[in-house]
Amino acid sequence: MSKRLWPVIGKSLLGLIAIMVATLIVGIGVGFLVARGVVDEDNAILTLMTIFAVVLMIGAMVVSVAWMRAIDEAAREAHKAAWFWGGCSGMAVGGVGIVLASLPQAEALQFTAFDGRTDPVAYMAAGAFAMMMLMTLGYVIVWAWWWLARTRG
Amino acid sequence: MVAGADAGLSMNNRLKVLRAERNWSQADLADALGVSRQTVNALETGRYDPSLPLAFRIAKVFGHPIESIFSED
Repeated sequence: MSKRLWPVIGKSLLGLIAIMVATLIVGIGVGFLVARGVVDEDNAILTLMTIFAVVLMIGAMVVSVAWMRAIDEAAREAHKAAWFWGGCSGMAVGGVGIVLASLPQAEALQFTAFDGRTDPVAYMAAGAFAMMMLMTLGYVIVWAWWWLARTRG
Repeated sequence: MVAGADAGLSMNNRLKVLRAERNWSQADLADALGVSRQTVNALETGRYDPSLPLAFRIAKVFGHPIESIFSED
């Protein structure tokens, strides 16, 4: 692994810990306000988690940029190939699921999305997560193939 | 950068010979070029064709023109 990646990994971990600690501290403060009846619990949780998710994803994008700038061009090519071929392949597999799920016959299928939930938002999240996992799986497979095929030996 | 491969062309290079002449390890060359040792290995074995900027860096490190280091198969 490139020596230039260690500072990126270190700063990423520090950033993640900072976000978690900040969320914990704000969460304790919000919890105090909820207990005092100053703010509504559901609204407080939604607001706090929205801010947490947005900050976390912005942080993930910043780390991605730093990571791509720290690696050399061959490693970048591996990621580009993995994103295109692996991501597209994973999306194609997920596409089959989307087509089948859109059939009227699929209405008879009954299953819980996660955590016993059967509401539309839970299904939406489960579908998005499943697509993301398929694309990630494709990404990992193509990245490993690209990198190992060129750098082993 | 695999434009050559896309066009059905492959590239040869003299990286391994030039490196051996200088008694450099792959890691030494990688440090000089600012790439990983794995990338140097991929370049030497012809499994990866460098971008034009990297090809120019390689030429500068070895003190040879690009065309004397890389050739069409």
